[in-house]
Amino acid sequence: MGALAIKNVTKSFGDTHILKGIDIEIDSGQFLILVGPSGCGKSTLMNIIAGLEAPTTGEVHIGDRMVNNIAPKDRDIAMVFQSYALYPTMNVRQNIAFGMETRGVPKKEQEEIIARVAKMLQMDHLLDRKPSQLSGGQRQRVAMGRALARDPILFLFDEPLSNLDAKLRVEMRTEIKQLHHRLKTTIVYVTHDQIEAMTLGDKIAVMKDGVIQQFGSPQEIYEQPANLFVASFIGSPSMNFIPCHLAEQAGQIGVSLQSEGEARFVPLPNAAKLAGQVGKKVILGLRPEQFDAVENSENSLACKVHLTEPTGPDTMVLTQLNGIEICARLHPRDAKGPGETVRLKPDMTKAVVFDAETETRLA
Amino acid sequence: MSSPTQPAQYGFAERWLPRLVLAPSFLLTLIFIYGFITWNGYLSFTSSRLLPSFNWAGLTQYHALFALERWWVAVKNLFIFGGLFIGGAMAIGIALAILLDQKIRAEGALRTIYLYPMALSFIVTGTAWKWMLNPGLGLEKLMHDWGFTNFTFDWLVNSDMSIYTVVIAGLWQSSGFVMALFLAGLRGIDDSIIKAAQIDGASLPRIYWKIILPALRPVFFSTLMILSHIAIKSFDLVVALTGGGPGFASDVPATFMYAMAFTRGQMGLGAASATMMLMTVAAMVVPYLYSELRRSRNA
Repeated sequence: MGALAIKNVTKSFGDTHILKGIDIEIDSGQFLILVGPSGCGKSTLMNIIAGLEAPTTGEVHIGDRMVNNIAPKDRDIAMVFQSYALYPTMNVRQNIAFGMETRGVPKKEQEEIIARVAKMLQMDHLLDRKPSQLSGGQRQRVAMGRALARDPILFLFDEPLSNLDAKLRVEMRTEIKQLHHRLKTTIVYVTHDQIEAMTLGDKIAVMKDGVIQQFGSPQEIYEQPANLFVASFIGSPSMNFIPCHLAEQAGQIGVSLQSEGEARFVPLPNAAKLAGQVGKKVILGLRPEQFDAVENSENSLACKVHLTEPTGPDTMVLTQLNGIEICARLHPRDAKGPGETVRLKPDMTKAVVFDAETETRLA
Repeated sequence: MSSPTQPAQYGFAERWLPRLVLAPSFLLTLIFIYGFITWNGYLSFTSSRLLPSFNWAGLTQYHALFALERWWVAVKNLFIFGGLFIGGAMAIGIALAILLDQKIRAEGALRTIYLYPMALSFIVTGTAWKWMLNPGLGLEKLMHDWGFTNFTFDWLVNSDMSIYTVVIAGLWQSSGFVMALFLAGLRGIDDSIIKAAQIDGASLPRIYWKIILPALRPVFFSTLMILSHIAIKSFDLVVALTGGGPGFASDVPATFMYAMAFTRGQMGLGAASATMMLMTVAAMVVPYLYSELRRSRNA
């Protein structure tokens, strides 16, 4: 059964088109991430799913119901907000109980649910406090508790971790993932943080300018980005984009990489898709970890190190290929200091090629 | 020449300038507020009549004050006016603020319209409403001219009802101000709280009643303080609108004090009534200030 289906949803305010035809469908129990830069329409889409805004055209299905004309409260959803949106004058217990009171859940049952949720999120000791007496992480927990108390068929998380500091964000991320494993409820999660997207999602929808650029599993999106935008948005440090021309040499299609006056022809995988396009201007996409430092190999290029950024397990080495600044993720053992030369061998099996004009992926 | 809390490079001017700048207003406040409060307090224990005298008379003036029917009419009127004025302005103001907060068109223009009466002095308000409520000139005459000859609206000249005309004019003047205060408070409330409550299934009235208005408690108290002191010291509105009449039917303590001290040559009695008013205000303001200060110390 499809837990959530969004069918050709658009949203416009006058001449401003926020969403331009969104289609998404996920199965029950899946964790859907809507990710994109600010202004891409992801929060609007979230509000449309929640029923807080109406789509201009298109349909939203939750479970097996078309919910376009159903009020937020009857959609059987729960939402966690970026600003937590706790009711400031109520203590934690009342915050969690408010929705249940409104729905007329019997007092005794309310207490059982509150106890269960508090235990699940380890916040029994916070129940009698006001939101103003809680830290950011605790408020986040309460906001999630309030959502859990509802036991909905769909959870909506609107950038829930954005207001937390870096360490807490990682902890809560893990906690949300564990919670999802335990509850197996369908979740829609909006974020602008690609790491959250990669770590949490079963399915990721990468959005830009009101259009879904790519919809797929995290691995698909990472390894086979649909276009230049997705490739640059997902992954940190970003993928390297090296402009070059398709060439043919010894019956193989490839590109020429240059460094320090040395040029080397590297054949591309999936050459079949590129047949007949020799001479075309393309952009070669290579992730930082697709470079290996080698001593003296046939397929390596000597590169002068401009800068190194040690992160502990790896060292980012900034250098140049084809006149473009690139970043290679190397083992600290292999990284040389600035000014020195390192021989880099690109792993072409995972290389991707984009059309320089349309920015879509060719191979 | 340097104290431990101030860096040494601070010169004479830097240390004394703030005190010099504040000194005149401090001095003026000391003399014209606290000095005169003290003098008034002293006068209320003297037998001053037309001019201040310093013959100690103990509590004579207070005994006289409490025996005077006119004083008790003024006190009763203050409670009627204060209660209806504060309650009414608050209710109308909150209602207007909530309605204006629904993302309506031309909100700026409407807000200005409602706020405009505040720009007038109570004297102007009082005079305008006096004309409108005057049976021979305003509303009643208009209805008669339109043919409703049975229509009567003579509250202004009716000694049982004249205080209520003061309430009407006061509400007209101050409701917009209350609206502005509450509107500012409503704007400070996070939108997502309302969204969360909507998803929780609360209706709009319930959202306002259970979540938003309780969150506006500080605004509520500030407004209450402002309205109460307007009510207690209200003088100009009554003078312009009813002149305390008919007779002394719409007297309030402030007009009573003015009449006694400056027109009827009973300065000691006037001083005693002024002291009673001060005590009433103090009884409300001091606990409020105390709780506010304590809260800010705790925060």
